[in-house]
Amino acid sequence: MKKIKSTCIIDDDPIFIYGTKRIMKEVDFSDSILVYENGQEAIEGLTALNETGEALPSVIFLDLNMPIMSGWEFLDQFIKIPNHNIENIVVYIISSSIDPRDLERVKDYRIVSNYILKPITPEDLEGVLQAIANE
Amino acid sequence: METLSINYLIKDSPAAVAVLDRSLQFVCHSDLWLREFHIKQKDIIGKHYYDIIPNIPESLKQIHASALEGVSSINKGQKFMHSDGSFQWLKWKINPWKDHEGNIGGLIVVQEDITELKREEELLLIAERVARIGGWEVDLLKNEVYWTDITKEIHEVPEDYIPNLEEGINFYKAGESREEITALISEAIAKGTPWDTQLQIVTVKGKEIWVHAKGQAEFIDGTCVRLFGTFQDIDQKKKVEIAFQEATERLAVATEGAGVGIWDYDIVENNLVWDDNMYRLYGIKKDDFSGVYEAWKASVHPQDMERGDQEIAKAISGEREFNTEFRVVWPNGEVRYIRAIAVTQRDKNGKALKMIGTNWDITELKRTQLELVRSEESFTGAFENSACGMAIVGLDGKWIRVNASLCSSLGYTEKELMKQTFQDITHPEDLDKDLALLKEVVQGKIATYQIEKRYFHKAGHIVYAVLTVTAVKDINGKLSHFISQVMDISSRIEAEKRLTTLIDVTKEQNDNLLNFAHIVSHNLRSHAGNLSMLTNFLVKEEEEAEKKNLEGMLKNATESLDETVKHLNEVVQVKTGALDKLTSVSLRNSVESVEKNVSALLKEKGARCSIKISKSHFVNVVPAYLDSILLNLFTNSLKYCSTERPLALRISSIKKEGEIVISFKDNGQGIDLERHGDKIFGMYKTFHKHKDAKGIGLFITKNQIEAMSGKIKVDSKVGVGTTFTLHLKEG
Repeated sequence: MKKIKSTCIIDDDPIFIYGTKRIMKEVDFSDSILVYENGQEAIEGLTALNETGEALPSVIFLDLNMPIMSGWEFLDQFIKIPNHNIENIVVYIISSSIDPRDLERVKDYRIVSNYILKPITPEDLEGVLQAIANE
Repeated sequence: METLSINYLIKDSPAAVAVLDRSLQFVCHSDLWLREFHIKQKDIIGKHYYDIIPNIPESLKQIHASALEGVSSINKGQKFMHSDGSFQWLKWKINPWKDHEGNIGGLIVVQEDITELKREEELLLIAERVARIGGWEVDLLKNEVYWTDITKEIHEVPEDYIPNLEEGINFYKAGESREEITALISEAIAKGTPWDTQLQIVTVKGKEIWVHAKGQAEFIDGTCVRLFGTFQDIDQKKKVEIAFQEATERLAVATEGAGVGIWDYDIVENNLVWDDNMYRLYGIKKDDFSGVYEAWKASVHPQDMERGDQEIAKAISGEREFNTEFRVVWPNGEVRYIRAIAVTQRDKNGKALKMIGTNWDITELKRTQLELVRSEESFTGAFENSACGMAIVGLDGKWIRVNASLCSSLGYTEKELMKQTFQDITHPEDLDKDLALLKEVVQGKIATYQIEKRYFHKAGHIVYAVLTVTAVKDINGKLSHFISQVMDISSRIEAEKRLTTLIDVTKEQNDNLLNFAHIVSHNLRSHAGNLSMLTNFLVKEEEEAEKKNLEGMLKNATESLDETVKHLNEVVQVKTGALDKLTSVSLRNSVESVEKNVSALLKEKGARCSIKISKSHFVNVVPAYLDSILLNLFTNSLKYCSTERPLALRISSIKKEGEIVISFKDNGQGIDLERHGDKIFGMYKTFHKHKDAKGIGLFITKNQIEAMSGKIKVDSKVGVGTTFTLHLKEG
């Protein structure tokens, strides 16, 4: 399986970030990992990245419940970023919510590939790698 | 002449005779003379004629003088006018008498006063002329006809006209009249039957007139020798009679056509007469009853009989004219209503002689009237007793009548309501559509309309109603008034509102509950996930330093879980049974007490705090909740104060419709409501990059307020400040 070049984690929970990073390392998921604590930070960071002409991370793990800017708001703004390789970016929602309204809402965003329930497991990440490889 | 015997003869003469000498002194006279000339003196012999009979006209004196010269005078009647204006008719024979020597010795006067006789004759003539009665006579032997002057006048022939029988008959109008007179005359000549008839003649001048012809025949030895009779012009009378008869006939046709019966009651003779219409009106046959009164008794409704008799008695006594209604029962059992009017004829002393009256059938009218009364009664009954408000409204918008329901719906007495117009009590927002529809009714575009509208109750609150307006037209089809039905649906609207509120509350609570469930699930899951992940790492970790790090994280995760559970517990506490603990609390005291608790923090931030709350404002709250709410608002303002200006807080309250409305205003950072408006009171929603933002405070605040049947709203502008408005029940 091909290692992913750059991954982005957007989550306000430091324990989750720690855990995800550790599992990524285990499964040899990604070369580099970008971390944002909420949607606001992420949108600002990614926009800045885009403006300098650097490639955006090809996988984004996005939490929904965050302060200041939620995952949903992030998605709304992210799809507006003028980006030539946005087609090559996949977003995974990673949340503890099993609220069917959230699961339903995900369908409104083409950019979202899947919905992963916390806690994240090595199997989840391997599945992601598999899915990307199959494309 | 001087012989006694002659004197005696003269004395007993059946005529008034006087013998005078040359010097006109009485020689002798008949007894009758004294009587004839009303002479009181017994002995007039030797007295002068002119002394005994005064007022002898001069012309007669001349005759006397002539007679003494030998000229006799005979007069059958001469009228003498006296100087006093009176007149006298005298009839006389005056002859001279001669003595044995052949000389004229005096006069023999036979004289009669025929004034009375003449007067009667004159009167008769006048009467004939006035009555236009002429006489005629036909002498059948000589075939001569005699007409009196009047007869001639009637025929308009000249006075010298000489009639004959044939011409006389031909004056009768050809046809019926001529045939009848011919037949009558023939019968009179043949059988002696007199005639008395009224026929038409045509005068010489061509005028048609009615005459009353009477005649009879005179027979000698079985042969008719003479016809005579009278002939009277009755044209005027006859024409009046004919006109009267025509009028009577017309009346008869009219009364029969109109079904009017006429009756005639001779009070003196106690005799009642009905015309045929009366029997028809009473549905009976004339022949079935022995008399009219029996027929009446048999027909009149038993309940109306006594009253009818009384009314007739009153009419006769003059107490009241007869003008009444009663029922008759037809033989087939059908009851008909009869209207009866009569006039009473009286003699000059006022005694009632006769009653003449009419009857006509008013059953249909009566039925219509009864139906009308019934319909009116049922309308009035419906109007008065309707549970629905009803009003009759004039074209000018003023009430004509209002019913009790309408008054009670609007809170007015009938008298008070009548002083208002419907415009006065209509909610201004609903008036235009009402008036617009009313206009369409007035213009005839629609006959009725129905709208939901609001009225103002006397007490000021709104009365919701369904108004139905129907136009009522008069007999000419002109708009006369409106009938308004006002169905008070306030209770329904109120119930609807309560229900809607209840549904809203329930829905909100349901949503809250669902959200809460998901929050609980989410939060517990995220902690559980972290714990399980960390535990997995810990199990596999071999490096001691990393193990320590994981243990530290595990401790944090456990503490977070504990905190979350505490928060959730707090929320659950709010959700249950708050209403049981409500007490009345002075808002000012509460605000001041909380302000005191945070005074150190306020001082640290250099905050100014203005509290404008009336001492009279009490709220019905759970005191601990109010403290918690106020504390939360204070700390929020402190947490999110602007870095550019010192915090200024303004807390005020007003009283409104059973609620105390508290305004809590700061000049802090503000919240972008367009972005976060729907989440501001959500759990774990934070909008500021602040280390203390946990997203639990406003969630609990809102739950606490709602648990006390209150409301909280927010108004905010980024960079300007935030105002929270709290509605709490007045205590």
